Amino acid sequence: MVLKVSASFRESLPGQFVMVRIKNSDDPFLSRPFSIYSVHSRGGDTFVEILYKVVGKGTEAFSRLRAGAVLNMLGPLGRGFDVPSTCKKIVLIAGGVGMAPLSFLAERCGKETDGAEINCYMGAGSLEALVGLDRIEEVCSVVKISTDDGSRGHHGPVTELFGRDIDLHADNDSRIYSCGPNPMLRSLHELLKDRRVVCQVSLEERMACGIGACLGCVVKTKSDGLVRVCKEGPVFDIDSVDFSEDNG
Amino acid sequence: MKLEMGVDIGGLALKNPVMTASGTFGYGEEYSDYLDLNRLGAIVVKGLSLEPREGNPPPRIIETASGMLNAVGLQNVGVRAFIDDKLPWLRRIDSAIIVNIFGETIEDYVKVAKILNDAVGVAALEVNISCPNVKRGGVTFGSDPGLAGEVTRAVKDVSRLPVIVKLTPNVTDITEIAKSVEDAGADALSLINTLTGMSVDIEKKVPHLENVTGGLSGPAIKPVALRMVWEVVNAVSIPVIGVGGIMNARDALEFLIVGAKAVQVGTANFLNPGVTVDIIDDIKRYMSEKGIGDINDLIGTLKI
Repeated sequence: MVLKVSASFRESLPGQFVMVRIKNSDDPFLSRPFSIYSVHSRGGDTFVEILYKVVGKGTEAFSRLRAGAVLNMLGPLGRGFDVPSTCKKIVLIAGGVGMAPLSFLAERCGKETDGAEINCYMGAGSLEALVGLDRIEEVCSVVKISTDDGSRGHHGPVTELFGRDIDLHADNDSRIYSCGPNPMLRSLHELLKDRRVVCQVSLEERMACGIGACLGCVVKTKSDGLVRVCKEGPVFDIDSVDFSEDNG
Repeated sequence: MKLEMGVDIGGLALKNPVMTASGTFGYGEEYSDYLDLNRLGAIVVKGLSLEPREGNPPPRIIETASGMLNAVGLQNVGVRAFIDDKLPWLRRIDSAIIVNIFGETIEDYVKVAKILNDAVGVAALEVNISCPNVKRGGVTFGSDPGLAGEVTRAVKDVSRLPVIVKLTPNVTDITEIAKSVEDAGADALSLINTLTGMSVDIEKKVPHLENVTGGLSGPAIKPVALRMVWEVVNAVSIPVIGVGGIMNARDALEFLIVGAKAVQVGTANFLNPGVTVDIIDDIKRYMSEKGIGDINDLIGTLKI
């Protein structure tokens, strides 16, 4: 979905998100949070792109919208990824539509980070769900794919695929960025726990306000207790998140 | 046409009748990018307890038909951290700052109220009595007329500030509680707090909320809130603040017409952080159109 927005969105950072709702509609009732997939300008107008998969009432309503529909959007919100200005290697690990913020990050890194090699591990349910593959292939040196049904690439979870290459990447020269379902992030946390490597993850949580007021989106951290995904996140250092239980 | 928007809530003068509802507006600062806070009649901050509280484990919220359930569990920074870290910023705002307080025992309420006596910049207390009393087997203060009166009197006895008592709708007869709280010396009432509700994930056969039940808010509860405000307005003589599912000026006007002297906007802030200012402007527009120069001439004009 591509949305024409105010120029203030040009300041958006990879990892930041927006709260979206259909204008003048109370059904679905709450706004929905989405990571920013890309921000671009054309002819003086600014556009924000979001990537979504139909999973419930909200996304279903968005999928029925036609070109020209008007939405209310709040953003850019939250803390984005820390992007180093110099870094030898960037590794992206994406699950499904978790590709969105990582693609935005890769695009930025391609432009701003001197000579970094960008590797991407992309997982999805099936070949059809590998959305945004073309775009990521353009900016990455290496893209490796996994699908749950084996219809493309490695047959199995993307963390398994990454796990095979872990010795190539989990070192001081690399930065790892990931976004995807919680079980995937938990596996990644497990893989990286004894490694000295910087890894940031973007978390997903149900939210009502997106601006730090409703306290609905909290996640358990190791040293700061429950913190808000919308304000202290959605990007966290993987080591700071407590993955010991389901955590929503 | 010059419009008089000021209302008096039990000795507390407000520049207009639109406030934010506790628990939906953080400590004010969260919203400062989205509206001019100085325009609000009052800001009611997130409920404070004696000690900080981490609140309930997630998931804490779930959307419902025309509303949402929350089980945040009264997470807050504690009254002392509020005074040290949040109040100095809020003091710069030219709107009444109302501090919502709660406790698990009457002594807790009294201690918090006493601490706030020395805090500069607090205009009034709003006492949340929708909490279980741990010393009385967990019975909710606000569902027992005797207990509701007892906690009200205890806070009134120690506080130098106007005391607003916020009532729970989860009772058989809200007027009985309202009268008891009035008799105990409350300066004003606000109602309603959330209605207890529940939602189930049919795939996993588990409640959507970790806490199992939660408080229902949003337009789904507005007709119930309006009915209760109307009943209470007719039962007591202290000012009543209407709360529950107000999404726009039309909703706010309904509460004013049935007799609420002010309104609080809650869940609507989550959908549109600037909604309170829109509501103020639209109430003014309505008054101009109807030739009503003073908001007080609109309050309680319901014809039956």
